[in-house]
Amino acid sequence: MSVALPVPDFPGSILTVTLPAGPGGTPVTVGGQNALPLLPEGEHPNAPAVGMEVPTGPLELPPALAGAIGAFAGDPAAMARKCAGDWGARFLFLSLACCHPDGGGQSVLEGAAVVREVLSATPAPVIVGGCGDEEVDARLFPAVAEAAGRPVFLSYAEEKNHRLVAGAALAYGHGVVSWSPIDINMAKQMNLLLADLGFPPDRVLIDPLTGGLGYGMEYTFSIVERIRLAGLSGDAALARPVLCHLGDAWKAREATDPSEGTWGDVDARGRRWEEATGLACLAAGADLLVCRHPASVARLSGAAWR
Amino acid sequence: MALTAIDIYKLLPKTNCKKCGQSTCLAFAMQIAAGKASIDLCPPASEEAREKLSAAAAPPLPKVTIGIGEREVVLGDETVLFRHEKTFYHPTAIAVSIRDDASDEEFASRLAAIRRLSFERVGQQISVDLVALRCASGDSDRYARAAAAALEATGLPLVLLAPAGPLAAAVEAAAPSRPLLAPPPEDLVPAAKLAAERKLPLRVRARGIEGLSVALADARAAGATSLVADPSPETPRDAVSFATNLRRLAILSRNRDFAYPSAFDLGGGFPDPFLAAALLVAKYGSLLVLDSADPADLLPLLTLRQNLFTDPQRPIQVEPGVYPIGAPSESSPVLITTNFSLTYFTVRGDAEAAKVPAHLLIADVDGMSVLTAWAAGKFTGESISKMLAECGIGEKVTHRTLILPGMVARLSGRIEELSGWRVLVGPQESSALPSYLRRLPPAAFLPAHG
Ligand code: B12
Ligand code: SF4
Repeated sequence: MSVALPVPDFPGSILTVTLPAGPGGTPVTVGGQNALPLLPEGEHPNAPAVGMEVPTGPLELPPALAGAIGAFAGDPAAMARKCAGDWGARFLFLSLACCHPDGGGQSVLEGAAVVREVLSATPAPVIVGGCGDEEVDARLFPAVAEAAGRPVFLSYAEEKNHRLVAGAALAYGHGVVSWSPIDINMAKQMNLLLADLGFPPDRVLIDPLTGGLGYGMEYTFSIVERIRLAGLSGDAALARPVLCHLGDAWKAREATDPSEGTWGDVDARGRRWEEATGLACLAAGADLLVCRHPASVARLSGAAWR
Repeated sequence: MALTAIDIYKLLPKTNCKKCGQSTCLAFAMQIAAGKASIDLCPPASEEAREKLSAAAAPPLPKVTIGIGEREVVLGDETVLFRHEKTFYHPTAIAVSIRDDASDEEFASRLAAIRRLSFERVGQQISVDLVALRCASGDSDRYARAAAAALEATGLPLVLLAPAGPLAAAVEAAAPSRPLLAPPPEDLVPAAKLAAERKLPLRVRARGIEGLSVALADARAAGATSLVADPSPETPRDAVSFATNLRRLAILSRNRDFAYPSAFDLGGGFPDPFLAAALLVAKYGSLLVLDSADPADLLPLLTLRQNLFTDPQRPIQVEPGVYPIGAPSESSPVLITTNFSLTYFTVRGDAEAAKVPAHLLIADVDGMSVLTAWAAGKFTGESISKMLAECGIGEKVTHRTLILPGMVARLSGRIEELSGWRVLVGPQESSALPSYLRRLPPAAFLPAHG
């Protein structure tokens, strides 16, 4: 006897997006699926991709990260090579926190120079993250767009700055990460705004804001599930690959506090915290994960099924 | 599939006699479809209508309970596939295993380790729910003694992973505690008879959905009714796929033959148990057995479970009001925060670490964080001034100085204007409260004049 399984049949599929690589590198292609994540049903032409953050500026690393990446603090190019090489990151998320007034306060030109340095250190696909300060980022993204010698993605375009960021990206052939604060309507609105500017949809990723485990992860989980279901059900503005940055996992006290004896080894615990955050994102439907611990790359790739 | 109002309407007498309290049969059908009325309220309804409607109203995934009293674990009883559609009701139960062939000393220390897998987070206790006792000795007496010892030491309900002989011996020792019987596939029938006779829940293990369709039927034929289905995957990927299919069969197909909670034994060499466990907490695992008792594994898993099984419509929150930190006096500082549990417990912990007695005002913002509540218009100059006037803090202190979370510094002016209180802007992160509070000059909290 054979059991008839109720497999949902979705009318839509997720747009395919490619993060280009430099000469000799491997581009990352995500999207293209017409089914829910992790399941052997429908078409999943591309597996989710796991990348790593390359930090800049002064770092205050929790114990688990200090041991793993502490040696690369202050040398983003070396860190980038290591991530894309030995650690197996398929793409890099270069965070220009060094340009934040509280994060080193480097100039926009210095930030752009870091981008060039990293791009020449490795051919891996790169997403360049702003520093988070509105005023600085408004100058930083155009400078980065101009300085980058090959196509990258600019993270983030949000409601306020999207004209500027999308304009800079369009002028130099880059992609953008469209950001919204855990809100499906705003995520959709952002993509419609980008479309109004004539931005090519296959150069857009959705960043729904990823809360860390224990600190808002459940909101992200449900928003990603809803974005994915809406996209598969035919809402083209949401049928886009989703990027989850797991950095917030490292803000949790549980991931970083060595003093709680009953919580187990802080190094193992920190890694598990990021891993569990990432696994939940994959289960919800994330297509790209950005992690901070090298061990997370291999661990999360273990569930990046097609 | 749930019936629509139109499906229900077709089953009603269509006479609009109003005995149900509704003006038309259609209005009544809509009430039933929304879950707000039951067919019992329509006296003239036919037998057929009654039968069909009560079958449709039965939970798509009936519950199974293990253990008794306070430690009772409820599996299943879910109604949706995605938490945003309503909520998930019964968190994935987590069992940590122990072997019956351990030395007395190892056995006792492992049980103590399992008991310690309980943590307080945002005002809730999150804990491992069950002890899974693996029969490795093959010795019935030893297994039964181990079951009694595990019960005695932890008080947690048991999953009895054992062949028929030892299983029967352990049931003699532990039946009143309502353990879950978990025999290997070859001992299914005798174990199912035992479960039927003692009215105990039974885990049915077989290969995949096809295997389960036969094994579950065998268990039912032997008289067992309270069943949990283990599709015995070989990889995490299989596990997620099986769990999803079981849940969909119950909820989408309303297939009663598979309407059982799922169980997964992720011990005994199962590849990558942590990864599988995290994915199964997110995707439809009802009961997981783990060999790890490492808190570095369990704390993240239990936190993940706490997150995903929170009602999306109702964040975990605390009662609004005035909370004392230490033993505050009339000249102690007054702090304000919101009634989102995560915010409150973080701030309380940090304020306590300061060892400066204080009054902490918890504003009613429907369980939102400081910035979220501000962005939603619930934590405003108006609402804070109203709370200052109405919560009774004015009688508890003689000064009129409020410490505001740094993130909402912009509210200071409005609060001062509306309430007459002076506002000090505190640090952005409450972790900086200890140094901030200790540095405050006592003159900040002198009695207000006038
Ligand atoms: C999870 C989340 C949500 C959840 C709700 C969670 C909840 N129950 O509150 C959801 C998805 C529902 C949500 C909704 C919204 N959100 Co929201 N959300 C977040 C997120 C990711 C985390 C919030 C959180 O849990 N923080 C953790 C708690 C512990 O922080 P906290 O309460 O601020 O407490 C800290 C400090 O304030 C301080 N502190 C607290 N009390 C006190 C007291 C004293 C005396 C002192 C000194 C310090 C202090 O210490 C605490 C620990 O550090 C933040 C982004 C972020 N990373 O912060 C955005 C964020 C708060 N949200 C934002 C927005 C815009 C919204 C929405 C308006 C839009 C939307 N997304 O739909 C809605 C508004 C709600 C509505 N209309 O229903 C914005 C706010 C913009 C701004 N800068 O003001 C943020 C900052 C995101 C962003 N960067 O844009 N949100
Ligand atoms: S009692 Fe039954 S028959 Fe009468 S109006 Fe209500 S639904 Fe219709």
